[in-house]
Amino acid sequence: MEAAINALPYLFQGLMTTLYIFIIAIIIGFIIGLVVALLRLTPIKPLQWIAKLYVDIIRGTPLLVQIFFIYFGLNSLTFISLDNTTAGIITIAINAGAYLSENIRAGIQSIDKGQTEASRSLGFSGIQTMRFIILPQALRRMLPTFTNQAIITLKDTSLLSIIGIADLTQRGEVQASATFQSFAIWTTVGIIYFVVIYLLTLLSNFLERRFELR
Amino acid sequence: MSIVQVKNLKKNYGQTEVLKDISVEINEKEVVCVIGPSGSGKSTFLRCLNRLEEITSGTILVNGHEMTDKNSDINKFRQDVGMVFQQFNLFPHMTVLHNVSLAPIKLKGKSKSEAETLAMNLLEKVGLKDKANSYPSQLSGGQQQRVAIARALAMEPKIMLFDEPTSALDPEMVGDVLNVMKELANEGMTMVIVTHEMGFARDVCDRVIFMDGGYIVEQGAPEDVFTNPEHDRTRSFLSKVLKG
Repeated sequence: MEAAINALPYLFQGLMTTLYIFIIAIIIGFIIGLVVALLRLTPIKPLQWIAKLYVDIIRGTPLLVQIFFIYFGLNSLTFISLDNTTAGIITIAINAGAYLSENIRAGIQSIDKGQTEASRSLGFSGIQTMRFIILPQALRRMLPTFTNQAIITLKDTSLLSIIGIADLTQRGEVQASATFQSFAIWTTVGIIYFVVIYLLTLLSNFLERRFELR
Repeated sequence: MSIVQVKNLKKNYGQTEVLKDISVEINEKEVVCVIGPSGSGKSTFLRCLNRLEEITSGTILVNGHEMTDKNSDINKFRQDVGMVFQQFNLFPHMTVLHNVSLAPIKLKGKSKSEAETLAMNLLEKVGLKDKANSYPSQLSGGQQQRVAIARALAMEPKIMLFDEPTSALDPEMVGDVLNVMKELANEGMTMVIVTHEMGFARDVCDRVIFMDGGYIVEQGAPEDVFTNPEHDRTRSFLSKVLKG
């Protein structure tokens, strides 16, 4: 117990790293997801194929392998040099982007085609229709699935401890081996993750009510 | 002066011919009702007029623009052709006022206050000024459809298309919507209306077009078509729908 309390300031520093990586990665991941979803919905076949290939590759390989590929694999090429935090953020963002793109695509496709017809009949272009009419509705509708992916992504960042990023998990490891109080330390780490994710869920519920399609 | 000229319009869905050689002209300020059994192609015909459906062959001139020309700016042409749908299709994430003012702001470059004044005037015209700040889901079907009419009118179109505007409404809501349309007709709007409201077609339309099986079977003044139809198919259709 004492070991856990003494470790708290150190673990909270790790939590800050976790949150820092998570927030940047989920924002980039969302942008990637949006772009990829729109590419998959363009009428241009090669763009659809590229987007689909990306999603298939990410979904078809383990995240840990993706982390090793980007940090060790790409760094072994002479013209690329990524520090572990950058490599970690890139990997997490690319991974989340693939899953989010599928959610966003489903959200866009769930909007009744009468909305598009009404918008086009007023004289809006396809792009304007997407921007003013379809996306605002689709993004609201996909908020619950977005939260779900955000929670998975937050937990996925714990894998980055393997490439030496001093996140919450890595600092837990350090403390556990330094104090020999594995049970107390890992319980504390678990509780910290749980509380953060619970707060994220509450935030999402609030946003859902706030932006509910009336 | 004809505002719509349709020549040899054909439309196939795969192997199925939905419209088989339609030629028709519609004059400025004319109110035309299109009637016929379901599956006769009347909604498809209407949707071809603003190219919501791509046609298979033929030509459609609206306001002198060739609607089917792939190289022309269809978005520009559509601004002159208002459309009202069976399912209203209001934008659920926007207030009524925003639904009506959005297109004039984004497409005509009107200022927000200018567009909102226009929108309020149109909402007053359809009797829903007090609903300006409501969301579509807070309105009844009849109210939503009147907002949809105001939204289309906000672009100051030269012609209005109505695709079964009262078919999705509770019976007691139908009258309000038809009254708005009647008023619009009296003001001289050119209107093409696909409808099952035979009473409305008889009272308000200048011309009735009866379609069946992808053809225009017959057309004429409503008193002629309704009381003295030339074709058996028209007669049998009318005897079924006028019974009630």
